[in-house]
Amino acid sequence: MPNTVDKALNLLRFLPRVCLANIRDNPGSRRGPRRGRAQHGGDKHGAGNKGSGQRQNYMRIGYETGNNPFYLRFPWEPYYKGHHLKRQYPPLSMLDLQKMIDLNRIDTSKPIDLVAILNTGLYKLFPDQHQFGVHLTDDGADIFDAKVNLEVQWANELVVAAVERAGGVITTAYYDPHSLQAMLNTKKFFERGIPIPRRMMPPPDAIEYYTDASKRGYLADPEKVSEERLVLSQKYGYKLPKIEDDPDYEMLTERKDPRQIFFGLDPGWVVNLRDKVILKPQEEELLKYYAS
Amino acid sequence: MNTLKSLGIPTYNAVYNSLFPNLLKRTVAYKSALSLNNLYPNSSLKLTTLSLPPKHGNEKFSGYIPIEELDITFSRSSGPGGQNVNKVNTKVDVRFHLQSAKWLSDEIKEKLSEKLNSKVTKEGYLIYKSDLTRSQQLNLADCLEKIRSSVRECLIERAEPSPETTEKIRRKLERAAKERLLIKRQRSQLKNDRQAPQVVL
Repeated sequence: MPNTVDKALNLLRFLPRVCLANIRDNPGSRRGPRRGRAQHGGDKHGAGNKGSGQRQNYMRIGYETGNNPFYLRFPWEPYYKGHHLKRQYPPLSMLDLQKMIDLNRIDTSKPIDLVAILNTGLYKLFPDQHQFGVHLTDDGADIFDAKVNLEVQWANELVVAAVERAGGVITTAYYDPHSLQAMLNTKKFFERGIPIPRRMMPPPDAIEYYTDASKRGYLADPEKVSEERLVLSQKYGYKLPKIEDDPDYEMLTERKDPRQIFFGLDPGWVVNLRDKVILKPQEEELLKYYAS
Repeated sequence: MNTLKSLGIPTYNAVYNSLFPNLLKRTVAYKSALSLNNLYPNSSLKLTTLSLPPKHGNEKFSGYIPIEELDITFSRSSGPGGQNVNKVNTKVDVRFHLQSAKWLSDEIKEKLSEKLNSKVTKEGYLIYKSDLTRSQQLNLADCLEKIRSSVRECLIERAEPSPETTEKIRRKLERAAKERLLIKRQRSQLKNDRQAPQVVL
């Protein structure tokens, strides 16, 4: 029983090679352009009979013959409503941070906070453009290998896991724009001769983030943070290093008070760089204010 | 004479000279009203390392896996990705000996060996692999999640269908089979009728 396939293959053995000269389109696959000539090609220039088509007085685009047209149904679309007021956290990758540490731009024997990162000169922040601090991204989390006491403004789970796997401690903290301006150029701030301000509390939509132990917020309970450390180590599959046995335990757990901007300097103090003197308030009213 | 103080304007005094620290006064760390010991008065405020999660009731598997007892290896992933996929070890292979695992109860071990028979090697090692993402750490997390979900799945006790339901299902299947055979027979007869009748002389 001759198979169709066998028949076709037999044909192929004797026919010439397929080339452009011996193939043609399927009949009806291409229709030539119809020009306006002779009885049916000419006459009305392809415009038909009467109507707006022949008279060329079309309705405006979008008009739906009377009903409310689509392009007028929605008076506003709030895609970017308030975008100019939202808080921004310019990113700093873990790769960049590791590079800064490896090239000795950051000292890992002390706590690393926003001031330390700004002092490297490699990371720029503009608080007047609604920028509120460092967003540590997870690009380079796989190779991060430095034991640090880190304080950033935003960090996701993978970043936290990477820092804790390396034996370090990470905290997320909020700084209001006035504090940020003071931190940007500390020397210039001290030269102004005004007392160090108190750091303000986070705004209502940020309080939940900074009181969350799983986000390592600075307002969260450290005992809950310890539990979350275990949870994260189980999730990402690494053995949790025992920081209590670490000789640098005190440095790693050193934290600022929620109202403090600089390590070792309280709000209310005036730092005189020229005479190398610190002026502290003595009035009860002032002391009460700065301790509140 | 009106001093600033008598006018009620708060004044500052130079108290601390960094070159000559006052040794009589102890330096106390700054504590505001919002410091952690005011927010959490009952907490120890110490960062510690817990080894085991706190026990919650009678659950059979808490989700805790001792990472030291797993054999984790990394290799390169497959698929497109250029230089990154060629060079970076993003694929994760996690294996452990099922029968000698101390962190699983015997019940779980039995059920796992039944269900995941195909994932267990000749030597008895249960294998989990992942190259889901571009990150090694996320792939490792994926592997662990696979382990946990397979353990939890085998612990679910599915209710057996009632005898009425099983009888109903059996009847349905029988009816469907009868219908299928009927249609098949009809088609066969139709095809047969199209042929010339075989005349036996």
